[in-house]
Amino acid sequence: MSGTHLIETVINGLISGSIYALIGSGLALIYGTTRVLNFAHGELLMLAGYFILLFAVTLGWPLILAAAATIVLIMVLGALLQRVTIAPLMKREDWAFSVIAATIGLSIFLQSGAQLIWGEQYQGVPYFFHGVAVIGEVRMPWQRIAILVVALLVMGICGLILYRTKLGRIVRATAQDAEAALAVGIPAGRVHTIVFAISAGLAGTGAILLSPLITVNPWMGVSYLLKGFAVVILGGLGSFGGAVAAGFLLGLIESVSVAFVPSEWSNVIAFAFLIAVITARPEGLFAGRGA
Amino acid sequence: MLEVFGRHPFRAILIWALLLVVVPFLPLDDYVLHILTLFLIFAVFATGWNLTLGILGLKTLGHHAFFAIGAYASALVSHYFGVSPWLTIWLGAIIAAIAGIVIGFPILRIRSMPHVAIVTLAFAEIVRLVLSNLKEITRGELGFWGIPPFDPITIGGTTVQFGLGNAFGSFAVAAVMFVGVHLLLLMLLKSRSGLTFLAIRDGEAAAESLGVKLAAWKLFAFGVSAAIVGLSGAVYAHYVLILTPTSVAGPDMLISLLAMIIVGGVGRFFGPIYGALLLTVSSELLRDFGDYRMLLYGALIVVFVFIAPTGLAGLKPTSWRKRQEAASKPAEAT
Repeated sequence: MSGTHLIETVINGLISGSIYALIGSGLALIYGTTRVLNFAHGELLMLAGYFILLFAVTLGWPLILAAAATIVLIMVLGALLQRVTIAPLMKREDWAFSVIAATIGLSIFLQSGAQLIWGEQYQGVPYFFHGVAVIGEVRMPWQRIAILVVALLVMGICGLILYRTKLGRIVRATAQDAEAALAVGIPAGRVHTIVFAISAGLAGTGAILLSPLITVNPWMGVSYLLKGFAVVILGGLGSFGGAVAAGFLLGLIESVSVAFVPSEWSNVIAFAFLIAVITARPEGLFAGRGA
Repeated sequence: MLEVFGRHPFRAILIWALLLVVVPFLPLDDYVLHILTLFLIFAVFATGWNLTLGILGLKTLGHHAFFAIGAYASALVSHYFGVSPWLTIWLGAIIAAIAGIVIGFPILRIRSMPHVAIVTLAFAEIVRLVLSNLKEITRGELGFWGIPPFDPITIGGTTVQFGLGNAFGSFAVAAVMFVGVHLLLLMLLKSRSGLTFLAIRDGEAAAESLGVKLAAWKLFAFGVSAAIVGLSGAVYAHYVLILTPTSVAGPDMLISLLAMIIVGGVGRFFGPIYGALLLTVSSELLRDFGDYRMLLYGALIVVFVFIAPTGLAGLKPTSWRKRQEAASKPAEAT
């Protein structure tokens, strides 16, 4: 592998890794605070894809405005999802499986619903950033570089909120012990809703960044959901920082594996790696403090 | 125990068997027999999955992989080596059981439900990808065709044909498998093994403290469950005669079966049968509205989780019996 090729491989790995990190860290945030696996997370990504299509392409709004509207809308939907479906189930004794089953049902319902509303065709969103960056011999479209930069920025902001603000302290306290948090006056229920909104916002960011590259379709969330879950487990269930690191790791593993095996095998390698890690280290690679 | 099996489980299986014997003599067209054959195959699939999901309480989400393994193993061996499907279906079941035990090992190390769900889901995805990538052998997503149907059987001068287009023979195979699997499984679950499974579900630590070897029992349950699902997959393969990785190991299969189990009743012995019957028939009725099928399944899962978490099987015992008693009283008075 030549030097240029190696650099490109690594950068491509980091770019797809940043999407996995955006999706996985949102799932990890939810899991860390509520112990819920949200199987409808991929459909939040899909819906955000259709929103950005609507705002930026159909309505022709400026990118910043379209992106902001998409993020706000998807955060509201995320909060609504938690309020309407997950919060009532959490009161049950067998909630862990009920929530998994209900979100799986919701996920397929939203996919088929999107298919009925918007049809089966794959709809393209034009590149937001044009041109190709040339550094030495490495050539990289600005759109792909923007994915990495924006993802890092958004996750950085989330990290700052989690670890440096009062809201973050409240979220982390709820994650450690929801009952104890309630006892010191933290409204745990509202915190759960906020966490779902933030997580939906992260998925929405992923959707905006991805939509020009993979086109918008009803099933765009499916493959990213399982990758997101893989990231959550590799990162140590519920660790935000761990999930971000694991997301980049998974992206790198995939892009490097493509250099050795045909690309249709890269997912096999990624999931086999996941099962191997769980067998050897059930607590994940980067297990640490919660949330 | 009563909760899991209902009041007279063996009598219930006998009734099912009698009903299935009567069905071919009814004036039904082949299309109805075809739907019923699919129902019987999926009922066995759902029952096999319910063994780990509901009765053992391990929330696995990857059993469509065992269906695919059983289907492809049996189909490939009978196609390439010319072995009779009557033999290869057992090979499919055994290979699925081995796969079940192999994937059981990482799961033994995990106590958290989310880990189990994701590992099994990832396993199913690996199986789907491997089947679709080994194009030289399986033809990938183009579909593996040329699967031989079951060899004809001649009993006392009448020859029974199998495969699509021979509705009666295929129905008979599926019905025999359905009754056989449910009878054997019920016998297993009514014995000490069944009590052990339920003990593990209700309290792992307590069961272990009483000397239940958790690891061995879980692997055993995984093997049995995967074997049943694999067998149903193998019979499916020699019935529909064409397989694609997405149709047998894709998300739609996961959703369909999960919906059957949840609608029927997670952890109830007969629940998955009701679920399979209801959903197979209703999805056929909705055939003209093809796009609505998965919408219906998704909605059904959500509705049942919210309104009737014990499924159809959980709804029946009290309300039905009370109504029957109420109905029988005035009859006695006359």
